[in-house]
Amino acid sequence: MRRRDLIALARETLTLHRLRTGLTLSAIAIGVTAVLLLTALGDAAKGYVIKEFAGVGTNLVIVVPGRVETSGGMPAFGGSTRDLTLEDCDAVARQSAAVREVAPFSLGTGSIEYAERSRDVRVIGTTTPFLEVRKLTLSAGRFLPPGDPRQGDRVVVLGQKVARELFQGENPLGRLVRIAEWRFRVIGVLGPKGSSLSIDYDDLVIVPVSVGLRMFNQTGLFRIMVEAASPETVPVALEQVKAVLTARHDDEEDFTLITQDAMLKTFGAVIDALTAGLAGIAAISLAVAGIGIMNVMLVSVSERTGEVGLLKALGARRRQILDVFLVEAVMLSTGGAIVGVIVGVTVILIAARIWPFIPLQPSPGWIALVVTLALAAGVSFGLMPARRAARLDAADALRGRH
Amino acid sequence: MNATPGGEDGAIIRLDHVSRVYQVGESEVRALDDVSLTIARGEFAAIMGPSGSGKSTMLNVLGCLDTPSSGSYVLDGEPVEKLSEDQLAEVRQRKIGFIFQSYHLVGRMTAARNVELPLIFAGVEPRVRRERVRAALEAVGLARRTTHRPDQLSGGERQRVAIARAMVMEPRILLADEPTGNLDTKSGEEIVALLERLNAAGLTLVLVTHDPRVAAHSRRVLRMRDGQIVEE
Repeated sequence: MRRRDLIALARETLTLHRLRTGLTLSAIAIGVTAVLLLTALGDAAKGYVIKEFAGVGTNLVIVVPGRVETSGGMPAFGGSTRDLTLEDCDAVARQSAAVREVAPFSLGTGSIEYAERSRDVRVIGTTTPFLEVRKLTLSAGRFLPPGDPRQGDRVVVLGQKVARELFQGENPLGRLVRIAEWRFRVIGVLGPKGSSLSIDYDDLVIVPVSVGLRMFNQTGLFRIMVEAASPETVPVALEQVKAVLTARHDDEEDFTLITQDAMLKTFGAVIDALTAGLAGIAAISLAVAGIGIMNVMLVSVSERTGEVGLLKALGARRRQILDVFLVEAVMLSTGGAIVGVIVGVTVILIAARIWPFIPLQPSPGWIALVVTLALAAGVSFGLMPARRAARLDAADALRGRH
Repeated sequence: MNATPGGEDGAIIRLDHVSRVYQVGESEVRALDDVSLTIARGEFAAIMGPSGSGKSTMLNVLGCLDTPSSGSYVLDGEPVEKLSEDQLAEVRQRKIGFIFQSYHLVGRMTAARNVELPLIFAGVEPRVRRERVRAALEAVGLARRTTHRPDQLSGGERQRVAIARAMVMEPRILLADEPTGNLDTKSGEEIVALLERLNAAGLTLVLVTHDPRVAAHSRRVLRMRDGQIVEE
């Protein structure tokens, strides 16, 4: 029997019962659309997070004091955590060949005052390379001057918003401000940056690290920001930083290294799991639609018992009868899948137009997967009714018995 | 064997002590009870008998839709009592045409499409199919009705479509189950005349009927009762 004839026969039957065919087709289409929309949302969420993290800088390695791991129980005595110091910074900068820049990072909170106005801000203490490492820009003036990080003038660089709120349009360069009762001269204003790694760079001030540590009576740094020479050298840099710091900390790895890659992987994995969960929920509707196909095919087989008997009398083999019904089921699911993909992709494209900041886009991978699933549903749920038809006794079927 | 199928005597159907026993609950029903029957090539035989006499079972066995519980059946020189379901389907495809009281036309298909069905399942090429369908419908006088659906045809026309469908594979035997049962007298006579013409052209014809006037056209009447042939 020719494949074309099988398809033609199935089409004749399906077009006869337009309503029934349409409803079954819609059920599959809805399932397919649901899978596509939910997975597109999941992918968009991931894309959004990746975009956020991309601002961190792909070459970046962040050193955090303390070991971030759960080993259970009380920490062993003597396993105390050493501070990250400016000396650590120097050592990393000098001894790690794969490292391009190193910037210390201290953090405190204080209120900044100018001309009767005051505002609570985060105070970051750092050095010249910070500008490059954190990919910051200046809208006015200059950044912290180079020099011995242990020395440091009372100078400050203001975030966009701080400058705007405090100076109300006045030029802040050269002005004296008071931060946590310390007097500073404003030497620069940052360009707009927004939030990165949960720090709002528009709403903070930057001072030399030595000053920052003294202001808040801190002995250790909040972070050390390390920039590798290139994205490819990040793993090498990671090893070198680890070796240098471990050696300096009495052979104890009492710090944690974070890379953008690792953060992306973690978040990516979480969102992937969520997306898979959403896809799974949507796939349930596909399974329901599959049962719909089975139901329609069972009805069809019992309505066409006499026809099956006739085909058998005319010499149709079991396998041919099976194929006739199976092709109908598969055509239903294929048709539904096609409609579902068209609707799903259209909705995604429209949504992407309406909300351009969400990276919504149809994914060929998900489309391929969901179409495969729909076809599998057609075959697996169509098989039982088709078998039932193929197994009908010819003589009984001709008399309309089954 | 192929040169003279059926042996020297030219028999196309040879039933030898054939029984067909059904199990209905606890009891056995002998629908065919030790029947022996020979039908010659080109013969026209009518089977008559009250309902439940085994006519239908007889026709099913002859048409390879059912297999004997015991005994042997040689059809056109080929023993068929031990064939598998698919092998029987193949025998039906090549050798047997069926006509039914209720026509068994597929309602959603045109006359031509109905006649084309056996050719489709036999895997015949579309171009060849069209020609054979046209010829078969012409032979039953329906050349102008090819695109009509069954519900647009009269009873007699429907049965003629069914005959065209049965003949399109050029079978050796035509088995007819009450072919005139749903027809008025005039249409019934036309159908019988058509069947007689086919028989005259060499086709073996076996029909089951209640109607003595139809049976009168045959040269041989077999009467059945309780699963046996009681009179010839």
